[in-house]
Amino acid sequence: MTWMAPRTVTEAVELKAEHPDATLVAGGTFVGILTRQGLLASDDWISLQNVRELRELSTSSDLALGAMVTHRRIELDPDIAAGWPGVRSVFAVVASPRVRNAATIGGVLGDADYASDPPAMLVALDAWVEALSVRGLRRIPVADLILGHYQTSLEEDELITRVLVPRGRYHVTYRKLRTRSREDRPSVAVAASFHDGRVSVVVGAVADRPQVFPDLCATWVPGDGASAREIATGYADRIQPISDNRGSATYRTRMIAVEVRRALDTLTPAVLTPPAART
Amino acid sequence: MTDPRIRASIRYPNDLTVPGMWHARLVRSPHASARVISIDTSFVPEAVLVLTPSDVEPLGRYGCQISDQYVLAGVARHVGDPVVAVAAADEATAREAANLIEVSYEKLPAIFDERDALRADAPLVHDSHAVSDSDSAYFGLRPLADTNVCHRFRIRTADLPQGEPYTADPESDDHAEGFDAAQVIVDETFRMPAVQHVAMEPHACIASWHDGKLEVTTGTQTPFNMRQDLAGLFGLPDTDVRIICPPMGGSFGAKTFVRTEAIAAALAQHLDRPVRLALDRDEEFVTLTRHAATVRIRLGATRDGRFVAKRIWCWVNTGAYADCGPGVAMKMGYAGVGPYRFDHVAVDSYCIYTNLPPAGAFRGYGAAQSVWASERVTDLMAAEVGIDPVELRRQNLLVDGDVFCTGETMHDVHFEELLEDAARAVDWQPGGDNRGKGVAVMLKGMQTPSKAEVGIRRLDDGHYEVLSGTTEMGQGSAKAIAQLAADLLGVDADQVEVPPPDTDRVPYDTRTTSSRSTHMMGRALETAVEDLKNSGSDYGHGRIANDGGLDVDTGQGIASSHWHQGAAAAAVEVDDETGVLTLRSVHASSYAGRVVNRAAAELQQEGSMIMAIGTTLFEELTFDQGQVVGPNLSDYNIPSALDCAAVSQTILEIEGAEVHGLGETALPPVPPAIGNALATLGFRPTELPLTPERVLGCAEGPS
Repeated sequence: MTWMAPRTVTEAVELKAEHPDATLVAGGTFVGILTRQGLLASDDWISLQNVRELRELSTSSDLALGAMVTHRRIELDPDIAAGWPGVRSVFAVVASPRVRNAATIGGVLGDADYASDPPAMLVALDAWVEALSVRGLRRIPVADLILGHYQTSLEEDELITRVLVPRGRYHVTYRKLRTRSREDRPSVAVAASFHDGRVSVVVGAVADRPQVFPDLCATWVPGDGASAREIATGYADRIQPISDNRGSATYRTRMIAVEVRRALDTLTPAVLTPPAART
Repeated sequence: MTDPRIRASIRYPNDLTVPGMWHARLVRSPHASARVISIDTSFVPEAVLVLTPSDVEPLGRYGCQISDQYVLAGVARHVGDPVVAVAAADEATAREAANLIEVSYEKLPAIFDERDALRADAPLVHDSHAVSDSDSAYFGLRPLADTNVCHRFRIRTADLPQGEPYTADPESDDHAEGFDAAQVIVDETFRMPAVQHVAMEPHACIASWHDGKLEVTTGTQTPFNMRQDLAGLFGLPDTDVRIICPPMGGSFGAKTFVRTEAIAAALAQHLDRPVRLALDRDEEFVTLTRHAATVRIRLGATRDGRFVAKRIWCWVNTGAYADCGPGVAMKMGYAGVGPYRFDHVAVDSYCIYTNLPPAGAFRGYGAAQSVWASERVTDLMAAEVGIDPVELRRQNLLVDGDVFCTGETMHDVHFEELLEDAARAVDWQPGGDNRGKGVAVMLKGMQTPSKAEVGIRRLDDGHYEVLSGTTEMGQGSAKAIAQLAADLLGVDADQVEVPPPDTDRVPYDTRTTSSRSTHMMGRALETAVEDLKNSGSDYGHGRIANDGGLDVDTGQGIASSHWHQGAAAAAVEVDDETGVLTLRSVHASSYAGRVVNRAAAELQQEGSMIMAIGTTLFEELTFDQGQVVGPNLSDYNIPSALDCAAVSQTILEIEGAEVHGLGETALPPVPPAIGNALATLGFRPTELPLTPERVLGCAEGPS
């Protein structure tokens, strides 16, 4: 077994090109569990812990989060709270402070675990990732990054270096329905964002990847309860949820209808007034 | 002095190493019921010891109440049953070797549900039931031949028909004697699933042999039972087995009786060198669980709310091996009667084999399952007769001088004060609007009969050493014993040392279970200190014994030399659309008698309540063809700090009273208090845990 600990991004992508089967370790909260349980065995490991550039965080234009920025930093950063309230709200409810102190944004997207909180919100906010390899840089919308259970569209020599979230998304809500411990992952997660006259509702944790139906979203009449109900029913009809310890498929279908409706009801006209117009 | 737990200076069994030790790993059955046909070890390196069922079969069977378990299973009776053990010089080699062993099986029929296992056509998990000659089989065992019942326990108060033949068939066993005077009858069936203890430290032991004597260092609550059972297996006198018990990183009942120690000892014997066997987290889930149980209760009362008769059926799922399941079934049986007066009580409790992982001791020992049922039924009766639930209980609670269903006269009982204290904590409005609120009250027995011995030695430097078999599992027993001894000796507690139990050094003690140790050791210490003062030597010896026990055919006798008494109240809210239940307040009130260490007592209370919250809201082992689904702490949730915000408790203390144990009292009343609170909001919960999905499923709908 080899444990590689590059110090620069360039070095990291070179190592990944040389060792395409190597497992990347970011915060270790996911691969650590898998390894302990014997579900993941790897000969080669590339730890990103020493790559300083990947810890950079910028709020000067679009929100730019290095892949190694932890959940906890995102939760506590006042500029993120002010400019990207949706991002803050979703990272603040992941697991416990102990996990959030270690888990990273690059890690949670690279894992593509269906039960994680952040992907649904990042899809709703039109976020994208930068994927770097020795061949160059690609921009991939988060919506196109996660393909299925633990599957991403990353090439084997690529690694996520940054996550970017556009400015100006103030009208957002995140609903996390927990069915067990308050530290549990969601049974049903709904992220909704209203921007430029368009709502995006993304349902997470119910299927192999975040679920979004733009045609249903396009029918929304803000403030109209019947419209919200209709969209919610549409989501419940179209999604084929999984069953797991956090809820049966039947329960999830019922909850999608409840939680999508509640998310849209939260985005009421009063809330939709731009911040500049508020007194 | 900083707590050694905070300084990380405790060496738990899982931390220990000895020079020259080898490491063991187990190959476990993937089938719930299967005969081992062949074992292919051809890929295993030569420098690895492999033990198969036939290697250990000559040792015979063991079991604390029924001798039903071989050291390695030639017939696997649950998924995860150890069939092959390996040992190697390093852990990685042992793990790899275990993976390289191919076992082929002949699959056999399996049965999982405790009531299905009673059907005439159910496959038998064991062909015969041999009662153990261990001290742990301390009451009459009543296995039913040619069934999956390894024990049944019965209560019949004096004027009910006695001695009718046993029928394990739940449907035909429906007699209703004693209910003639009942004007209102409620009858409901409840279920509590299996759960895991989730002690922070998994099971870990080191076994070694010295001149034909066996030494085992392990985390166990039952060092002397362990010594006896291992001595029996290996054909040794008890004194040729030495059990050393370092402090445990939690147990909650999981580390009782022989778990992995016999396998480690057999490997060490073959190798003639020390062997360490430490389990992974997923193995904990197939090592011991809490008994799943179905409990049916019929309660009869007069129209004005006087309890007349109670009929209880418990079907207790003990899994593939009995372990102490017979004892659990007995305690479940009488705890379900509750602290109430009745004219007639009839109880039938069956301990039933299935092809699930074995169930054994678990905090709340049998009481949790039947108190869930019985205190829900009390509220069903309250609704039926239209009497405030607190008032209905108050009218029927046992007071000093009343006779319990076992025939024993109650003394030092405080149920009414406890109930009223708990109700007050949720602002209960007598006879008023108590929607969203619930209460429960319970009694729980202590291990009876039992005996405790203790030695106390004056050291040269003026310090004292207490030699006690009480084990430390995080409950603070060593500290409590030091405090008790110091008080009796008139010295500071830091002048008293309490080394970890070592059966070669400390005198006999029944075991550290059933919240008995502070009480029993406290009394034994009194006689030891007396002896020290009178003997004129440097050593004093104390001995205390509680007689009693129940006749298992009538349930008459002394169930408990004193009673653990507790009440709880809860205030909840429910989201009608999602079924999510939110705890606004959960309060437990327990009787302590005299408090030895207030901080430790409060922590025991809170710990019990936190486990109860997991049991009530979301903990549940689920199985797929007998295989645990998600045996890890991501898929299996236990309560987190955020789940415990609503918890509060009081300890009822009476100056100068006897010391009462507090290790479990606050667990059993919490689930029914929450269930009763939920029931006031239009739900009829019968099955735990109360997951949102299950809450929606028990909605009664608009009336």
